[in-house]
Amino acid sequence: MTHLTIENVTKTYFLEGNKIDAVSNITLGINKGEFVSIVGHSGSGKTTLLSIIGGIARPTSGRVVFEGDDLYALDSDRLSGYRCEKIGFMFQFSSLLPVLTAKENILLSVLFKSNGGASDVHEEKAVELLKMVGLGDKINAYPSQLSGGQQRRVAIARAFMNDPELILADEPTGDLDEETEAEMMRFFKSMNAGKNITFIMVTHNSDLAMQTGRRLRMSNGAIAEL
Amino acid sequence: MNGKFTLISLASKNLKRKPLRTLILMIAISLLVSTLVFALSFVRRVDSSIKLTSERLGADILIVPAGSRGAAEDILLENKVKTFYMDKGIMEKVGQIEGITDVTYQTYLITIQGLCCSVPETMVVAFNQDTDFIIKPWLKGKVSGRLLKGEAIVGSESAFNIETGAIEVDSVLFGNVFKMVGVLDKTGTGLDTALFMDEANLDDIIKKGKSDMKPGQISIIFARVKAGIDPYKVAAKIEDSVIEVDAVARKDIGKNLINTLRDINRIFSISVLIASLLSIFLVWAIFSAVVNERLKEVGIMRAIGAKESHVLRLFLFEVIIIGSLGSIVGIVCGTAVSFFLAKGFSIMKNISTDLSVLQRVYISLTGFVGGTIICVIGALSPIQRIKKTEPLNVIKEV
Repeated sequence: MTHLTIENVTKTYFLEGNKIDAVSNITLGINKGEFVSIVGHSGSGKTTLLSIIGGIARPTSGRVVFEGDDLYALDSDRLSGYRCEKIGFMFQFSSLLPVLTAKENILLSVLFKSNGGASDVHEEKAVELLKMVGLGDKINAYPSQLSGGQQRRVAIARAFMNDPELILADEPTGDLDEETEAEMMRFFKSMNAGKNITFIMVTHNSDLAMQTGRRLRMSNGAIAEL
Repeated sequence: MNGKFTLISLASKNLKRKPLRTLILMIAISLLVSTLVFALSFVRRVDSSIKLTSERLGADILIVPAGSRGAAEDILLENKVKTFYMDKGIMEKVGQIEGITDVTYQTYLITIQGLCCSVPETMVVAFNQDTDFIIKPWLKGKVSGRLLKGEAIVGSESAFNIETGAIEVDSVLFGNVFKMVGVLDKTGTGLDTALFMDEANLDDIIKKGKSDMKPGQISIIFARVKAGIDPYKVAAKIEDSVIEVDAVARKDIGKNLINTLRDINRIFSISVLIASLLSIFLVWAIFSAVVNERLKEVGIMRAIGAKESHVLRLFLFEVIIIGSLGSIVGIVCGTAVSFFLAKGFSIMKNISTDLSVLQRVYISLTGFVGGTIICVIGALSPIQRIKKTEPLNVIKEV
């Protein structure tokens, strides 16, 4: 069953009067539980496509359909609900709030889901996730007390907090050493297989891409199967 | 982590990251609220005192020698010590005017410090116990029978009462020995600082030449009118019939003071308005900077699922925390200032009425709500701007 459908999606930017198609007329279907990697050079449109799928960048034309809902036909609150409950986004850059501890950063997404506060169950889950990414001893550390790689792992843990159906990972292992990168990849694969979570991972690393079930390449805004 | 993690705890953490900036905003709001609380306390206290005096006077009309209306109001409203006299025969003329049911009178004397006795300058009120309806309601149970010659009763806040610390103490007044036999109930009017005696004592005082009044003189006449008759019309009739007097209807007592109060109120209102505008501008300027600094954070929050309402609530919590804490400090300071600094205002110094608990609660609530709303108004425009933040715009800027 097709979990996510991208139909004729184009995203156009205008830079100094020049029209640039960051994403050019892409049509793609992704099934539930698939682990998809997207490779390509810098500026090929990978992050833009991921942002469009993630509901944070409206396409110039085309549709993105997730579980039957046309994302960009949803109102602002329902689109936020999609970002909060259906997907887990791992950004390319440090995306932690500096005033919050590692655990609180993970619990942040819960605040937007529950409309109340984080319960004890949520807290236990946040701690468990931190342990799973190897940061069991950094629960109450602030981002300024963590290395770039550790911050990246907190952001990885946060993406799983609301039990998402789809993980969108933009260079998720960019700041990690080889050993930790391998650990994180094992973690992703276990979540993919164990919880049937769909993964779309953008990476420059062809070795990582080789470990995924389906590989796509982007070039000049267009996409092709590898 | 201590306590449940909520949007409020996030707001609180955000405020703590720039403590000086938060403190400046709180101080601005507390200054505004303390000005508001002080102004309201001042105006309400004077206003209440006037109303209370009018309500508790027991008479519908006050009749004083022509030109002495201001002096009479000074005595009744502001506890000042003043004397004025008119012929006692005027009381009979007043009593015959249509619509009047009862009349009584009082005579005012002033003790002279260091000359006649060892007490501070005090208002002494001589009254007629047979016709009186002004003092009696406050005398119930305070003296066993009638006040005898040589006996006096003191107001609840009288210097005699304070200095002696007890009643039944002999004092020399106008060359005569007086026994203090009781303390009057608190009236909340100028009577609270006076000393009361029967008019039978006046002859001896006049004989000893210790007062500038002459035999057969009185200071003030109090009149009651028949139910359903307009006291203003009766007062006008008195002034038409007896040209030597001014007649003041009860509700007009303190009219001059009320007019002055209205002006003071205007000055306070303008001051509070200017302070409010300045506070709104300060909050707007600071929150505009805050919003610019946190654009990326809000973009991240929006990208992981925050709705516009979450962003709105987060920033409103921050503003409300600043506004409410600043307001509470302002209420405490404003109340303290109204207690301690108010004595520097002569209009307040002489007023014995204090604000009721209900009035204080009302003023505090007004200050709290006012301070918090001013803070929210100032921050509203920057908050409206940031809640619309699109996550991609932020992500692209990184």
